[in-house]
Amino acid sequence: MGKLISTTLTRALLGLLIIVALGPILWTVLGAFKELRDIVTPVPKLIFEPTLDNFATILRNPTIRDGLLHSVIVVSASVLIGAVLGIPAAHSLARHARRWGDDVQFFVLSLRFMPPVAIAIPFIVIYLDLGIYDTLFGLILVYLITTISTVIWLAVPAFERVPHDIEEAAAMEGCGPAEVFWRFSLPLAAPSLFGALVFTFVLVWNELLLALTLAAQNATLPVVAASITSLGKEVPWGVINAATVLLVLPPLVFIGLLMGLLNSMVRSGPK
Amino acid sequence: MTRKRFVILSLVPAIGLLATLALVSIAGAVWFALMNRTLRSPDYEFVGAYNFLRLLRDHRFFNALEISAIWELVTVTGTLVVAVLLAVLIFETVKKPLWRNLICFAFLVPVLLPRVAAAFIWRFLYSPSLGAINYLLSLVGIGPVEFLADPSLALVSVAIVDIWQWGLFFTVILLKLMETLPRDPVEAAKLDNARTWEIHAYITLPMLKGPLISLALVKAVESLRSFDLIFVMTGGGPGTATETLDLYAYQMGINMGGRISYASAMSILLLIVTTVAFTIIWKAGKKWAN
Repeated sequence: MGKLISTTLTRALLGLLIIVALGPILWTVLGAFKELRDIVTPVPKLIFEPTLDNFATILRNPTIRDGLLHSVIVVSASVLIGAVLGIPAAHSLARHARRWGDDVQFFVLSLRFMPPVAIAIPFIVIYLDLGIYDTLFGLILVYLITTISTVIWLAVPAFERVPHDIEEAAAMEGCGPAEVFWRFSLPLAAPSLFGALVFTFVLVWNELLLALTLAAQNATLPVVAASITSLGKEVPWGVINAATVLLVLPPLVFIGLLMGLLNSMVRSGPK
Repeated sequence: MTRKRFVILSLVPAIGLLATLALVSIAGAVWFALMNRTLRSPDYEFVGAYNFLRLLRDHRFFNALEISAIWELVTVTGTLVVAVLLAVLIFETVKKPLWRNLICFAFLVPVLLPRVAAAFIWRFLYSPSLGAINYLLSLVGIGPVEFLADPSLALVSVAIVDIWQWGLFFTVILLKLMETLPRDPVEAAKLDNARTWEIHAYITLPMLKGPLISLALVKAVESLRSFDLIFVMTGGGPGTATETLDLYAYQMGINMGGRISYASAMSILLLIVTTVAFTIIWKAGKKWAN
């Protein structure tokens, strides 16, 4: 009997935890389909007539559409360049640079310690002087700090997990280092590398401060979303909820991949 | 292609670009900190340590320093305490892999949300007039509570959102790590009639000391990037109750008249403090973990 009560209690507790984790998001999704009069009620409404007006409003709004487009361009360009430059560098660090490789890796990691304001404030003046303030190119350039360093940081362990024997055998057969990298290490490490790229994508997709300071008209979606607290007189909660849903969707698509990345990192031993 | 050429060709572009960008921003910040440059006028001159001396007499700067320190302390300890408690709870009570995976998926969702989105979600929940939390509180006769407008509650209310995102994420990591631990010491302790909490407090958690230190460091670095969350939720207010250093530097450098030089001086101090602090913690953590 006592056991029954305690299992029921733990089940209830676990259910509550799942509600705490997901409830706020589901509530926002519901809010995105509500008309304002269904949101501004003293008693929260679970049953209401759903409407697509909020999504129509944000998708018709040119500022939000531009923000979405800028986000897609800036994020894909910076992640792509980060991958092209970062992945070969990570392979060299993992395989060919034993003596000073650690110092380079520490430098790369230390870039993550840099407070973003310390990057944003000097760059705003430099960009104004160079005439690249408020351009997508400027945003891509600062995001490269994040993407290259994150790709290297996550790809080094991925290459270290590639079995030595395969690379050595390929080298014995007369493959040069570039060929070993391209034909053997890269395909073998590809699943983990893909996870690393997804993680990098999520980081830059979510970024606000640099985009807020270094762009005005050409800002990305988080900046636009952060600025729609007042369209008109009332706080447009339905529209805000719909914009939040739009912002949340791309990272959530990759949740399965993040789980896989976690599993492989834990299996290979903690950093 | 020789090995040496491959190494140079692969490393130089990536590391060179990173080093250039990092150097430009640090050198730029030092240079502007010694001038009296603003965004309003293109003219500026050398003023030496003037900006740094003014910082030492700026009450708002010290307030921001204090808020940043409290923020670091609350979010790092809160995240780790939540993660350890929940990981142990799930490890002990949920044995079926399917259920464990479902819980892990649910717990990974919050950390994937953009900070801006998380901020809006919780501003909506915290709202005194239409928020779901205040509705639940009113059912038990409390409220309405002004979570974000009350200076004594605002910082904690924002910290809860941060812990919601990161505490649940770290729970998943800890749970996965606990699953990889060897079973023998735990079985031996069970034969000695050790209680469940004793097994975790004296056996499993000490075995995870290294990863726990790494996680604390990762969170400490991550907590420095609190700008997005605080900016959208409170904007540093009410008053300056949630104004961390990065918010104050942003307000000074961009919002209020663009005093670039003053904000640069602040970001240099921030850079020095974090670099020194993290190098010390990094080294101490490595020593302690061994």
